[in-house]
Amino acid sequence: MKRTMGWNLTLAAGLGFFVALVGLPFWWVVSGSFKLPQEIIARVPTMFPQSFTWQHYDKLLSSSDYGTYLVNSVFVSGLSAFLTLLLAIPAGYAFFRLEFRGRETWYRVILLAYAFPSIVVLIPLFTMFAKAGLVDTRLALIIVNVAFALPFAIWMLRSFFGSIPREIEEAARLDGGPPLTVLRRIMIPLTAPGIAAVAIFAFVTSWTEYVFASVMILSDAKRTIPVGFSGIIGQYQVDWGLLLAGASLAILPVVIVFALIGRWFVTGLTEGAVK
Amino acid sequence: MARNPILALAFVAPALLFLAAILAWPLVSAFLLSLQNVRGVGTSGQWVGFENYRFILTNGAFWDSAGLSLAWVLANAVLQTLLALAAALILHQKFPGVRVARTWIILTWIVPTVVVVMIWRWLFSTSGGMINPLMMQAGITDRPIGFFATPESAFATLVFINSWRWFPFIALMMLAGLTRIPSELYEAARIDGAGPVRRFTRITWPLLAPTLTVLLIIGTLLSFNVFDIIWLMTQGGPAGGTRTLPVLIYETAFRSYRMSEAATIAVLSTLLLMTFAIVATRSLARSGDER
Repeated sequence: MKRTMGWNLTLAAGLGFFVALVGLPFWWVVSGSFKLPQEIIARVPTMFPQSFTWQHYDKLLSSSDYGTYLVNSVFVSGLSAFLTLLLAIPAGYAFFRLEFRGRETWYRVILLAYAFPSIVVLIPLFTMFAKAGLVDTRLALIIVNVAFALPFAIWMLRSFFGSIPREIEEAARLDGGPPLTVLRRIMIPLTAPGIAAVAIFAFVTSWTEYVFASVMILSDAKRTIPVGFSGIIGQYQVDWGLLLAGASLAILPVVIVFALIGRWFVTGLTEGAVK
Repeated sequence: MARNPILALAFVAPALLFLAAILAWPLVSAFLLSLQNVRGVGTSGQWVGFENYRFILTNGAFWDSAGLSLAWVLANAVLQTLLALAAALILHQKFPGVRVARTWIILTWIVPTVVVVMIWRWLFSTSGGMINPLMMQAGITDRPIGFFATPESAFATLVFINSWRWFPFIALMMLAGLTRIPSELYEAARIDGAGPVRRFTRITWPLLAPTLTVLLIIGTLLSFNVFDIIWLMTQGGPAGGTRTLPVLIYETAFRSYRMSEAATIAVLSTLLLMTFAIVATRSLARSGDER
């Protein structure tokens, strides 16, 4: 494929713009977290650190329960992603393949879940959870996270199943496989990238969730990263070094997850999300 | 294929029941709450019919917030879509490192909103932030700008931050649409001597339009509901300049302790949003049938 010089320059300029737009803030945060306090507040900011220190991380880890928040977040997000898949895979398959009355109607009704401010259900849910003894448990967060990830997950999975050639599925069924076996042996392995994309979507939704976690969790030991971190922000308002270290540590786990399976997310999305 | 209602039920029912219990039932409870005069969480009240609705609809604060929400949705839709479209078109090209770029563009979206807020509050800060010194060095301004000082600038800054967080996600969805355009079309156009601009207006744009419409609808719903970024950044201020409907609901419920009034605003917001969603998906389905 041949491209003209001018076209290449336009492309490079555009790419540079987006690399700066997305990358620079993160570079400043992570590099800033290793700078000495006087360098952070220097009148002329430095692009590359002139000093190096672990002091902000030391202070963060010794003066707060950051490790506990991290474990809680991984636990809540991991389990939310798993349960979302458990509910969404059969439902997505049924909406795609099985015939039942009101299929299209139900499918649309599910998507209406995003047509109201999620804050609307906060008050009634809190009352419900209080009665069920779920307030101040991590289970409460998992339930809420699954509920908000589920409609989108079903929607995505239905179109992933739709992208599989019908002949493959037909052949499996003619061999006498009951639907559950077809789903388990043929459909799930073939849509693995799509399923990974949905899992990442659910994980990230829970990982970033703040509002419900701040209302439903009362004790410090059960807080997730977003809530724990906002507490630290409130407490150390102008200690930028400490906050930059906290931000870097909150970014780290999702970056690791993404480094391992991130490309599945993109492949999954591009192989059939919007139809 | 044969109808098998029991199997379908076994597959669909768990998800539907779960959603009914965690989303639909609380929505009904919110409506019931809006017909009472409950103040604090957990206290009880009397039934007052549609009294709250009369009060809220004749109340300036509600309409101010509704206007702000409309402006918020429109501004985000424009900025978010433009950024996402440009990014998607670039990521659709072939160049060294395109796979890495496709994966890591999403970084802004996988970071907790609390962290997004902290990052930008620091960068935009008048003491210690990066943006102000850089702008002064570049000669754009000669004194630090208070990005959150006036209602208008706080609103604009928040639109930027929210679009910054969401545009990569939308860009990837657009990329999904772009990759589904058959490459033979581009080949044929190139043989006919069509330049990049013509290829975009004649092939990419018309074939991407349905995807763009779907994403605009999703984007509208998503940005209408944005609460955490606004609340953590400005708490609806200064002078109510960023108090969109979700912020007003939260404030009414958890700051003023007027649960029933908050529920009323919530129900009204839901009606607005559902009307939009139903009309939008209907017209989308209709244009899909014609094609």
